[in-house]
Amino acid sequence: MALAIRTEALTKRFGKTVALDSLTLEVPVGEVIGYLGPNGAGKTTTIRLLLGLIRASAGRAEIFGVDAQARPVEAHRRLAYVPGEANLWPSLSGTETLHLLARVHGSVDVAYRDTLIDRFDFDPGKKVRAYSKGNRQKLLLIAGLMTRADLLLLDEPTSGLDPLMEQAFRQCVGDARQRGQTVFLSSHILSEVEALCDRVAILRAGSLIEVGSLAEMRHLSALSIDAEFDTTPPDLSRVPGVTAVRVEGNRVRCQVAGSVEPLLTVLAAAGVHHLLSREPSLEELFLAHYGATPPVEEAVGAP
Amino acid sequence: MLTTARPRLSRKPSVPRDPDRQAANVIFAQSARRAIRSGLLWGAIFGLYVYASAAGYAASYPSLAARRRLATSFGANAGLAALLGPARRLETVAGFTAWRTMGVLTIVGGIWGLLLATRMLRGEEDAGRWELMLSGQTTRRRAASQAIAGMGAGLIVLWSVTALATIAAGSNSKVSFPVSGSLYLATSLMAGASLALALGLLAGQLAASRRQANGVGAATLGLAFLLRMAADSSSSLAWLRWASPLGWPEQLRPFTGSSPLAWLPIALLVLGLTGGAILIAGRRDLGASALPSRDSPPARTFLLTGPAGLTARLGAGVALGWTVGLAALGLMLGLVAQSASTAISGSAAIEKALGRLGGHRGGAAAYLGVAFLIAATLVSFAAAGQIAATRSEEAHGYVDHLLVQPVSRSRWLLARLAFGAALVVGTSVIAGLFAWIGAASQNSGVGLGQLLPAGLNVAPPAVFVLGIGALAFGAAPRLAPTIAYGLVAWSFLVEFLASVIRSNHLLIDTSIFSHIAPAPAANPNWAATAWLVGLGVAATVAGITVFDRRDLASA
Repeated sequence: MALAIRTEALTKRFGKTVALDSLTLEVPVGEVIGYLGPNGAGKTTTIRLLLGLIRASAGRAEIFGVDAQARPVEAHRRLAYVPGEANLWPSLSGTETLHLLARVHGSVDVAYRDTLIDRFDFDPGKKVRAYSKGNRQKLLLIAGLMTRADLLLLDEPTSGLDPLMEQAFRQCVGDARQRGQTVFLSSHILSEVEALCDRVAILRAGSLIEVGSLAEMRHLSALSIDAEFDTTPPDLSRVPGVTAVRVEGNRVRCQVAGSVEPLLTVLAAAGVHHLLSREPSLEELFLAHYGATPPVEEAVGAP
Repeated sequence: MLTTARPRLSRKPSVPRDPDRQAANVIFAQSARRAIRSGLLWGAIFGLYVYASAAGYAASYPSLAARRRLATSFGANAGLAALLGPARRLETVAGFTAWRTMGVLTIVGGIWGLLLATRMLRGEEDAGRWELMLSGQTTRRRAASQAIAGMGAGLIVLWSVTALATIAAGSNSKVSFPVSGSLYLATSLMAGASLALALGLLAGQLAASRRQANGVGAATLGLAFLLRMAADSSSSLAWLRWASPLGWPEQLRPFTGSSPLAWLPIALLVLGLTGGAILIAGRRDLGASALPSRDSPPARTFLLTGPAGLTARLGAGVALGWTVGLAALGLMLGLVAQSASTAISGSAAIEKALGRLGGHRGGAAAYLGVAFLIAATLVSFAAAGQIAATRSEEAHGYVDHLLVQPVSRSRWLLARLAFGAALVVGTSVIAGLFAWIGAASQNSGVGLGQLLPAGLNVAPPAVFVLGIGALAFGAAPRLAPTIAYGLVAWSFLVEFLASVIRSNHLLIDTSIFSHIAPAPAANPNWAATAWLVGLGVAATVAGITVFDRRDLASA
């Protein structure tokens, strides 16, 4: 099996802080992998190590078998990178930036670039300093995707994009998958990763805590439920799949994994008059599944 | 415990009676704080310049005969008159000081006023902070007025510091200016700053960005300066002086027949421009402008092919600025060289300085040999600026976009340093070339064959600065700009000290400028300069090696 990315005990320390602790990860060619973790978990550190922008304290990183730390120029020939921080030369226009990055990269699919400009509804004629954050992010996405590189390293690429553009982005990742490109998508948005990725790696406080297909991670796909009753709410803690129940007066909050049917039955019988369900934030999930200490609110909210 | 239940009301912040006034006061205070800080700094520079002009003249030309010689020689120099304005009564300390300080500080003050005005209004708007201010309880018109009042406070501080220094200089028994005269000179020195400040205010309201406002303001000032130069270059064109606002400050004539009536057009124009700016600020939408925005220019991609081309593209504006600046400096030094050397022949102070530097030729070449230290300092500052720009590319994260491509770190850094070296050599040669043009126009007898090498002679210290800067950039990136600028500033300070007091040889050797010969007063010492360049190259190689092994460091 050919590997697009391989890391072996990859470690980065900044002074006493361990930003990335002995990461060992293999990404086969053609895979779309989600790299999940809350802010500060070490996602960007991993990507900057893979790009050779920072030096590893220990371990090894390879891109298509090339040592990414020792021979970055060679490794970069086959990859494109989209950062989440949209810092570009303010005095260049969109067109000029795209021209520059295309020339520096070497090869670009011009027709696809124009498709991307249309798809993201982007006006390349302005100077970067005149763009909003969202527009600068679009420019970076177009610049990265237009290369059709074998490996796309995307570091929270949709920060600042509106939902419509998020859709366009998903379409682009779909294109890449069909062409057999490998995509490494770092994100803290669970639904984005769920919609796009074959496999998910989860990072927390610098350590890889779980890698697997989404099917294997079903336990992560929970729903947060917020229900209001006319009277005292029923006891939900014994309903199958329900966890993290919190009662506040006539209001109940909980999480449910798997089928929601048993919960709905109980709620309907108890006379629920308001129901809100949403996807829990990554932080909530992490607290629920990997948290060592219970959230502070729970202790306070307990009667 | 009922008695403790009552909170103490007196600790609560008092509710302002007039929230509008409160919001406006915040704007005034913010604007004033920054303007006053700038006024203090530049007031110190103004004051030092006035003090140095007066005290330097008194010390260098102690006898009436020497002063008469200077007055005849400088007074007959049309090039100098065009540059600094008409020379009057140069045989007196007061006349010389007024002529030199008015000529130079009107321009310096003009640049100060323009930049301050555009920074505090349009600059704040560009940065989005003005919007925050306006979201308070105030109107656009009132906010603009308050910000302008803050700048007025800065101008008053600039005047105060200048006035104090002028009075201090005047109290010297060899100088002895009357206090009223000193105050009038200090006031007259504010004319250029006031005019340009008001111009900057209006330009900021008309333009679409601070950058554009600076461009419009600088172009207007430049035009006014050219008109004034034409007026001062020949007596038949003297009437033109009234056509240029920069000609008006000359009519104030401090120490040489003061005519305060010339303040009338100055005050009227300042009030008119400021009033116009406030009026427009109150009426236009935030971010809107009368002049079209230049944010959508046609794409110019011919340089955008790689790290080297990008560096050239990004640095073109700064490079042009340095080139024009050093051309102007060279021209001015060349123009004054003959007059100055006539005037200084017999001035012990200058001959001592030249002797210390190792010059042996006399005449205009001697003067240029000493004066080229200024060119050397400026070219080295340009080199330090390139190191700062290199660091800023990394600090902002711009360079990441190149280094994640098939571009090695050394290729990028070499491209930047090569641009810096080209800038340094180019501006050095330009300074020599324009010094020759100026000198030749005055029949100074210093040839191109002497002045081109003299220009090139100031490049090696700057190349050394680039090398040390590259090493610092590799080893301690966040400190690199400080180290590069610090090296130049330190060297200048050492040279300055050495010219005033007898100093230790070891100390003088720490100055990068002490290792070049004072060309054209002496032949360039190519062996010593080869050492400077060689050490610079070695430091560069070390810097690139270290840079290749470290983490990229954002701001």
